[in-house]
Amino acid sequence: MSVLELTAVSKRFGGLQALSDISLSVSPGEVLGLIGPNGAGKSTLVSCITGVLRIDGGAIRFGDRDIQRMPQHRRARGGIARTFQKVRLADQLTVYENVAAGLASHWFARASGWASVFQPLSAGGIAQSVNRTLERVGLTDVSGAVVKSLPFGRRHFVEIARAIVSEPKLLLLDEPATGLTEDERERLAALVQGIAAAGCAQLLIEHDLELVGRLCHRVTVINQGHHIFTGTPAMAQSEPEVIRAYLGMNQLIGGGSDDARR
Amino acid sequence: MSRRVLPIAAVVVLAGLPLTFGAFWINMVITALIFSLAVFSINLLTGLTGLLSFGQAGFVGIGAYTLGVLAKQGYPPMLAGFYGVLLAMLCGFLLGLPAARLKGHYLAIGTLGFGILVYQLLTNSVDITRGPMGLIGIPTGGIDKQTWYLIMLAVCVAMLAALAYIDRYSALGVVLKMVRHDEIAAQASGINTFAVKLIAFTVSAGIAGLSGALFAAYVRFLTPDLFNEQESFRYMMMAVVGGIGSPLGGVVASVMLTMIPEGLRALGEDNLRLLVYGTMVLFVLWFLPTGIGGLVERLRK
Repeated sequence: MSVLELTAVSKRFGGLQALSDISLSVSPGEVLGLIGPNGAGKSTLVSCITGVLRIDGGAIRFGDRDIQRMPQHRRARGGIARTFQKVRLADQLTVYENVAAGLASHWFARASGWASVFQPLSAGGIAQSVNRTLERVGLTDVSGAVVKSLPFGRRHFVEIARAIVSEPKLLLLDEPATGLTEDERERLAALVQGIAAAGCAQLLIEHDLELVGRLCHRVTVINQGHHIFTGTPAMAQSEPEVIRAYLGMNQLIGGGSDDARR
Repeated sequence: MSRRVLPIAAVVVLAGLPLTFGAFWINMVITALIFSLAVFSINLLTGLTGLLSFGQAGFVGIGAYTLGVLAKQGYPPMLAGFYGVLLAMLCGFLLGLPAARLKGHYLAIGTLGFGILVYQLLTNSVDITRGPMGLIGIPTGGIDKQTWYLIMLAVCVAMLAALAYIDRYSALGVVLKMVRHDEIAAQASGINTFAVKLIAFTVSAGIAGLSGALFAAYVRFLTPDLFNEQESFRYMMMAVVGGIGSPLGGVVASVMLTMIPEGLRALGEDNLRLLVYGTMVLFVLWFLPTGIGGLVERLRK
């Protein structure tokens, strides 16, 4: 039984067919890599899964429910968490406060939660979850530090902490390794494996193919909005269509326009 | 220890001082504190959600006239005031439905329109509000000014304490800050940002309505001119001078901006007085772009 299942999803922007006929599925504890050259439609796909965009065709199932009509915040409450390519944290708040916000924001789903949001930030229930999560991602030492004061790489981890503190069923990681030091990259790898071991399904978008090969159980490759391959990372390397698509991508990266495009 | 005692003693003395004032000045302080609730309602809306409202006097008017009209028909003033707050909240909710989808200047214009609409209704529904003739003799007398002052002090302190708690210590505070800082991240964390704005509109309207109800009960005389768009701008100005996001600054600003123009009457001629007043406000914003609240924050650090 998969956590997330996309069937023949398509999305148009005016005359541009951004996604056509994309199908994929992620199971509990699985890490699915989503790779493809720039402009392939990876970010569009993430937006369709989280509910920022509505799909034009196909179906998105999350657990046993159709969610393509569900608004974004309800999908998040249902257990779809994400991080962003460009980190989106409240810079002037502390690490602890950012993570606590990720926890408390889920309480509005039930009437009983409305009373709990008035409890102090230091209350037992909040402190326990937040501190446990901070320990998992290795941020205990900077719990009280303002996000603005953290080096850039560590902010990625704050975002991951904010996403997993509510114990989601599915975690979407949008290029989490960008700008990380070698040490941090290794910590990220261990973290992703730990999250998977806890049974959370993960969709990993990443340009670092070495990391993808190491962490992902399967990879889905898309190019120009089309699905071109799904299989193990090892199989992907010998798939002619993937190689063709990636020759183009390497040229793009080599040309240095990778970041300029965002 | 003495570093804490001294400011507390100063605040207590300062808070007690108006009790020794003559009728004219204590009257001024009481109305300033009543206005500060309206300023506070702007602060709440703008400071917490980034939404601007230029129609806040409309909600104040709804609260005031509901109490005035109902109390004159024999309802107990407390109940009439309660209905005033409820009606203001209902209007805030209904205005919020379209307005919370608007952004920036569109929202400002939308709320301005609401303020004008309420003003016109108050002016023209002569059968109910007596229009420009004014609503006279609201039966809420019998409380002396010293008691009124203490009531208003208690209301303001309670409001400030509640907000300070929510803002600084509660889980709700960080959630609201997340919404203000980044709506996209907030939605991705499961927050219905539209609902948050709608609630902010409703609560803010309720507090403005409370301000109006207290004003009606205290002054016992209402005309529509007390709730026109000029008043909305005055509240906005007080909120800005006090510092958006700083309720305490808002209270200080509304007391200062109410009393200073009166004190300047010593200068005599009306135009000169307003010129000095306007220049003072400009200088505050020049040297304290974050308002009085920003100054307090800086001193604390």
